[in-house]
Amino acid sequence: MAVDIGKFIKAPEYNVTIVTYRDVFQSAVCEEDRLSSEYQDLSAVIILDAAQMKHMGIVEGSNVRLTSKHGSVVVKTRASQQEEQKNIGFMVNSPWSNALVSIDTSDGFPGYKHIEVTIAVSKDEITSQR
Amino acid sequence: MSDITTWICTGCALLCEDIQVYAANGQIEKVEHACMMGKARVTGCKHTAKPMVDHTEVTIDKAISKAVHILKNADNPVLYGWGNSTSQAQIAGIELARVLNAVIDSTSSFCQGITINEILQGHMPSCTLEEVREKADVILYWGADPMSSHPRHLSKYSYFPRGDMRQHGYEEDRKAIAIDVRQSRTAKICKDMFYRIPPGSDLEFMKALLDALDGKVPKLSFDMDIKRLLELATLLKQCEFGVIFAGLGLVYSIKEDIQILSGLISKLNELSNFSLIPMVGHFNMRGFNHNLFNETGYIHSVKFTDKGPLSGVEYSIIEQLKGNADAMLIIGSDPLASLPGALLEQIENIPLILIDPCENLTTRAADVTIPCKASGIEEGGTAYRMDGEIIELSPFIQSNGMSDEMIIQRIIKEID
Repeated sequence: MAVDIGKFIKAPEYNVTIVTYRDVFQSAVCEEDRLSSEYQDLSAVIILDAAQMKHMGIVEGSNVRLTSKHGSVVVKTRASQQEEQKNIGFMVNSPWSNALVSIDTSDGFPGYKHIEVTIAVSKDEITSQR
Repeated sequence: MSDITTWICTGCALLCEDIQVYAANGQIEKVEHACMMGKARVTGCKHTAKPMVDHTEVTIDKAISKAVHILKNADNPVLYGWGNSTSQAQIAGIELARVLNAVIDSTSSFCQGITINEILQGHMPSCTLEEVREKADVILYWGADPMSSHPRHLSKYSYFPRGDMRQHGYEEDRKAIAIDVRQSRTAKICKDMFYRIPPGSDLEFMKALLDALDGKVPKLSFDMDIKRLLELATLLKQCEFGVIFAGLGLVYSIKEDIQILSGLISKLNELSNFSLIPMVGHFNMRGFNHNLFNETGYIHSVKFTDKGPLSGVEYSIIEQLKGNADAMLIIGSDPLASLPGALLEQIENIPLILIDPCENLTTRAADVTIPCKASGIEEGGTAYRMDGEIIELSPFIQSNGMSDEMIIQRIIKEID
């Protein structure tokens, strides 16, 4: 029987800072039905610089695991249509980005805007809403 | 035959007053002039909330009685949400917090509260959106992307209209500038007036801009042509009516140094004429700050005590959920979706009462769900627009349910 050696090899991890933002299409779906698969499709996504994705060995549309000190989620990747700053990923505000957010603050502001994570290619399914 | 109603949109804090809704037999057939978010708001959610206790459908009276029981038996209840409620419901909520000696807070404690406080304390000049439309020649979107968050902002007020003093419109009379870490939809419209900065470097950029306004040679640790910064300073100095629209990107970057933003506005007003408007999200988030300020002198994170109201970061929703909260009344919000995942266990481990027109993620964890009418659609009242103007909301759908204000008033009555 052939052994899939690949599954024992840990995918390389890279450090990325996630910047969160708002998206009008996702906000509209959020109004209609935030429990829908469409909401997940528009939310559980990280956008990266195309050249950096190539360097990381990440194929557009593939799943990646994002892990911070505070949580871990699997989301889909998308290449930015423009050149982006290196080591920056963009996620729309949603339960998927919020799962990674730090509350180790003392000013009442969670770390919503800039989230330090590692990113690695993943064969796992997109994390579902609780 | 459709009835046509002119509706004030509650999709965001722009409160657009020109939405045309065509309805027949209580069903909405067509919506004109609204953005995607506004249209979705007026059309309504797919899953409306039902009165529930412990995930079993009950009468609304039983749900309210259970909520009263939870609140009366809590030592440190927290009342949270309020941005999607009318001012009348917010004022009732403040009274409920007083009756319970509870903590009351909204998203503004980790959002635009910091800028609204500066305006209410008189440290920062602001202006109305109508003034922006009629007069503004320089519009600076800083850490803000209204094309995504408030889709009619540019077309209705800030950039595209031909105002009284800006008859040549955006083609000649207005300059739009974006300072952001990403080329947002708004930044694309600003074209060569987009200043891309690294995440978290707003403070450094602001200090460099202040140097440039002072005639000094600015320095930056990141890659940007200093000539562009000097050009920006010149443009800001020469403007007749300038406005900064402050987004959360800016707020989060300078929250420990908010006085430098006030300092920038002061410096600009020595040289030209500048105001600031915070990019408030929920339709009456600013109203919560104004109404709480009027009642207590504080704008958020308030704890009522027998000796009067207290305010401080320890009474913010985030700090309360880390520590003291032993029950939570949530109104018009979905904390399981919008608060950090690291807090979800704490939220789920305390009794939750949810008042909302719609089912959401928090419904799944709520011990009590009380459905309410949709504010501004099924129930009237007033709200504060993002610039602080008070707007009257008129309902256009008749329904038999209770408004959030009525529910809060009932809870107060049953607690007494």
